[in-house]
Amino acid sequence: MKKSSIIGIIVIAVAIAVIISTYSSSSTYGSFKDAAKTTSSLQVVGHLVKDKQLYYDAHKDANYFSFYMTDNKGQECKIVFTGTKPQDFERSEQIVLTGQMQGNEFHASKILMKCPSKYTQDKVEITETKAKTANI
Amino acid sequence: MDTAFKGEHLLPGHLGQFFIILAFGSALLSAISYYFATTSTNKLDKSWFFLGRISFFVNSLSVVSIGACLFYIIYNNLFEYHYAWAHSSRKLPVYYIISSYWEGQEGSFWLWGFWQAVLGNLMIWKAKTFEKPVMTVIALSQTLLASMLIGVELFGTRVGSSPFILLRQAIEGPIFSRPDYLTFIKDGNGLNPLLQNYWMVIHPPTLFLGFASMVIPFAYAVAGLWQRRYKEWVQPAISYALFAVMVLGTGIIMGSFWAYESLNFGGFWAWDPVENASVIPWLTLIAAVHVLIVYKNTGHSYFTATFLVLISFVLVLYASFLTRSGILGETSVHAFTDLGMKWHLVIDVLIFLAICIYLVVSRWKELPITKKDEETYSREFWMFVGAIFLGLSCFHLTLVTSIPVWNWIFGTKLAPPTEPIKHYNVIQASFAVVVTLLTGFAQFLKYKKTDSARFFITAVVYLVFSVLVGGLIIYVTGIYKLHFVFSLVMMGAVFTVLANAKVLADVLKGKVKLAGSAVAHIGFGLILVGALIAAGTSTVVSQNNSGIGYGDEFAKTSNPKENIMLYKNQPIQMGGYTVTYFGDSVVAPNHYFKVDYKKINAAGKVTEEFVLKPNSQANNKMGLVSSPDTKHYLFHDLYTHVTMAPIKADLDGEDGGHSETDDDKNYDAPVSHEVAVGDTIRFREGFMVLKSLNKESHVENIPLKGTDVAVGAAFEIFSHEKTYKAEPVFMIKGGNAFDFARKVDDAGLKLRFSKIIPEQNKVEIQVFQQPESKKPYIVMKAINFPYINFFWSGTIIMVIGFLMSIFRRNKELRIAEANAESKSAKPGKLQKA
Repeated sequence: MKKSSIIGIIVIAVAIAVIISTYSSSSTYGSFKDAAKTTSSLQVVGHLVKDKQLYYDAHKDANYFSFYMTDNKGQECKIVFTGTKPQDFERSEQIVLTGQMQGNEFHASKILMKCPSKYTQDKVEITETKAKTANI
Repeated sequence: MDTAFKGEHLLPGHLGQFFIILAFGSALLSAISYYFATTSTNKLDKSWFFLGRISFFVNSLSVVSIGACLFYIIYNNLFEYHYAWAHSSRKLPVYYIISSYWEGQEGSFWLWGFWQAVLGNLMIWKAKTFEKPVMTVIALSQTLLASMLIGVELFGTRVGSSPFILLRQAIEGPIFSRPDYLTFIKDGNGLNPLLQNYWMVIHPPTLFLGFASMVIPFAYAVAGLWQRRYKEWVQPAISYALFAVMVLGTGIIMGSFWAYESLNFGGFWAWDPVENASVIPWLTLIAAVHVLIVYKNTGHSYFTATFLVLISFVLVLYASFLTRSGILGETSVHAFTDLGMKWHLVIDVLIFLAICIYLVVSRWKELPITKKDEETYSREFWMFVGAIFLGLSCFHLTLVTSIPVWNWIFGTKLAPPTEPIKHYNVIQASFAVVVTLLTGFAQFLKYKKTDSARFFITAVVYLVFSVLVGGLIIYVTGIYKLHFVFSLVMMGAVFTVLANAKVLADVLKGKVKLAGSAVAHIGFGLILVGALIAAGTSTVVSQNNSGIGYGDEFAKTSNPKENIMLYKNQPIQMGGYTVTYFGDSVVAPNHYFKVDYKKINAAGKVTEEFVLKPNSQANNKMGLVSSPDTKHYLFHDLYTHVTMAPIKADLDGEDGGHSETDDDKNYDAPVSHEVAVGDTIRFREGFMVLKSLNKESHVENIPLKGTDVAVGAAFEIFSHEKTYKAEPVFMIKGGNAFDFARKVDDAGLKLRFSKIIPEQNKVEIQVFQQPESKKPYIVMKAINFPYINFFWSGTIIMVIGFLMSIFRRNKELRIAEANAESKSAKPGKLQKA
C-alpha cells in the first residue's frame, strides 16, 4: 500500500475520533427538571428573577452567592454559586449556568451572563438621557 | 428630519463617509483593473495595469483619511457621532483614544483595511511579475473590507456599518427631536476600563497585522493556480507565510499576556471561542509553512501545501465571522454583538471559498502532483505528517468552537462541553504529543534520505534522555497528578527542545541554514513547557474555609473556597504569607488596594515583604471592574486580584451630604469613659492612652476670643501592632459647648471629647467603634503560577527563530531571482543578435 493512502486512513480515523469525542462531550442545554434527574453537571439557560433577593454578604462568607433563576421552561429555582457575585449581575439579560442539583438548590460552578448594558449596547443609556431631560 | 440641529459638526463625518465610499470604489476599480491587466494578452497595453495601481493608491489614501476623520471626531469629543459617544469620553487620556479606535467593530475593520493597504503597497513594490494577479486578490479583499464600513441602505437592508453614523441616527429617542439635543449629551460612554491598558494599545494592531498579512500567501497561491505558474509562487509565499505566522503568533500571545496582566479570569488562556478563532488560522498556516518547505525541497505534497495556504485565509474570514456576527453569544463572554452583518460576513467567506474551489477544480489535472512515493527516512515525510496533525488539531478546535454555527445551520440545540477547558486541554494535548515528538524526531533525519541505523541510535538516545529530564520536571512540579497525557506532552516538549538544541549546536559547526527553524522550535517547546506547568500546577493561594456555614449541604459540595476576605489592617495567614490590606490610593478612575505580603520565618523574622496593588474601577456602566496585580519572581508569579470591594462611594462622589448623625450610623453605639491623663481605654481591637490635655488646642478656621476655651485630648492608639494619634477637641465658644470628633479610619474608630469634669480632674470621652460590617474590606483571590516565565520567554525565542528563518528565505529568494534573471537574460541577448 502507498504511504499516502496509509496517511489518508490515519487522518480519517483521527477525524472520526475527534468528531465522536466532541459529540460525546458536548452537552445539551437542559432545564432544572432535567438537572434533577441526573447527577452529572449540565448547562441551564435562563433569566434572573429580578424581584427576588440576590444574596451575597462578604462578611459572612466571601464565597457564597445565591439568587433565583427561571429556566426557559419557566421553572424557578434557587441557585447557589461558590464565589463572589459577578460584576454587574443585576443587569444580566440571560444567564447560562453550569452545575448540578443538590436537593432543591442548583449549585453552579460557572456562570456566563449576557449583559445588555455593556458598552456596545445603547438601550440603557437612553433611559439615562431621558432622565436628564425630565430634570429640566 | 427637517429640524436644524444646533452645535453639530457634520463636516468630518461627511468627509469620512465620502472617503469610505471612495475607498470602496477605488478598491473595486483596482481589483477589476488588475484583473484585466492580468488576463490581457496585449503585453504593450499597460493602461489596466496603471489604472489598477493608481486606484490602489487612491484606496490607501482614502483608508488613511478615514482614520484621520475618525481620530478628529474622537479627539475633539464630537459626541454627535455614535462612535465617539459609544467608545470615548472626555476623561479618556489621549493615548487611549487609540484603543477606543478598535473597541468597536468598525474601528477594527478599519485597522484591518489599513494594514491590508500597507501590505498591498508592499506588494506593488516587491511582487514584480506576480504583482498583477496578487494585487487582484488583495484589492478584492480590500473591496470587501471597505464594504463592511459603508453603512448604506441597499434594497432595504443596511450594508455594513459606518463609524460616521450620527448618534441621533443610531439611537431612537424623543430627545433627538429637540434641535438643541446636543446640549444634553455632556459626555460619551467611555472606553471599557479593561481596554484602558497599554497592552490594548499594541495587541490589536499586531493581531490585525497578522490577520491582514495572511492575505499575501493566499494571493500568491491563487495567482500561481490562476496563472498556471504552479511552482513559482511557492518560494516567495514561504517568506510571507513565515511573517504572517510570526506576527499573528505574537499578537495572540500579547492578547494572552494582556488577559493575564489585566483581566481577572485568573490565567493566560481560557479556550474562549474568541481566542480559539485567532488560533485556528494560525495552526493551518504554520502547517502550510512546513508543507511548502517540503514541496520546495522534494516536489512532494503540492496539493496539501496549496490547500493549507488557501484554507488559512478562508479560516481568517471564518474567524471574523465567528467573532463579529454575534453567533457566539451563548458561549463566549467577549464576542462582538451582532451589527446586522451576519450575512455580509457569510458572503465574504463564501466568495473566497468559491475562488479556492474553482481554481483547484479547474486546474486539478495540471497540478504538479507526484506519483512517486515519499522516502520514509526523509525529514520531509515526517514534516508532512506533523503538518497533518497540526491540521487535525485545528480541525478539532474549529469543530468545537463552531458548535453555535452547527446549531444555526442544522437547527440543533447542542451545548459546548460542560467543562470546555478540560476538554480542549486533553484533546489538544494529545495532538501536541504527536507534534512535539515529530518536531524532535525530524531533526535527526536529513532532507531527502537518511541512514536508518544511525538515525535510530541518535533519536533513541535523545528520547531516553528527554524522558528522564521530562520525568524529573513532571515529578518536581507535580504534573503527574494531572491527566497522563500532560506528562506525555511534557516529555515531548523536552524532546523538541533537546533535539533542536542539537541542531543549534551543529549550526555552530557551520550548518547555519537550519538555525532559524531550530530556534523557533526550541521556543515552541519552551512555550509548551511553560504553559503546562503554569496552567497545570497553578494553585489558589487564597483558599479559605472561614466563612460561617450555610448548612452542611453547601459545605460538602462546594469547591474549595477560593476567595478570601480581608478587613483593613487585620492580618490574615494565607499560603505561607501574612497578608494585610492596609490602605488605598485613588488615582481616578482607578481605586488601588494596597495589600502587604510578608513571609515570616519560624524565628519571627520577616524574610520577605512586598506590596501588591490590585485595582478596581467602580464603573457606572459596568459595575466593579478589577485588574490584578502580580508579583513576578524568576520561577513563579503570585497573582492577586480583588473580586469584591465596597467602593461604590467613589462613584457617587463623597459629597458633603453626610450630617454628623448620619455618620454616627456607621458606628456601633458609643461607649463613654471618664478618664484622667495617663489612663487607658480598651476597645475591641486594641487600647488607647490619654497622653495629655492640650489647652493650647485650636480648630482650623475658628478664631478664639476672650473667654473661649479649646482643649484637646491627645491620645495614642494601639491597634493591630500599629500606633495612631488622635486629638478630639472640646470647645467653649461664646458660652456654648462644641466638640470636634476625630476619626481614625484605619482603626475603625471615632473619638468624641464630650465633657470636662473639673471636680475629678477627668474628661469624658466617647468611643465609637465601627462594627465589622462597616469596616473597609476587600475580597480577593490569589493564585500562584509556577514557571510561567518559560511561556513568555519561549514566545520571544520563537519570534527570534521566525525572524531568522525569514531572513534566510529572503536571501534564498534573492539568489533564486538573480539566477532566473541571468538565465532569462541570455536568450534575450541571442534574440538581439
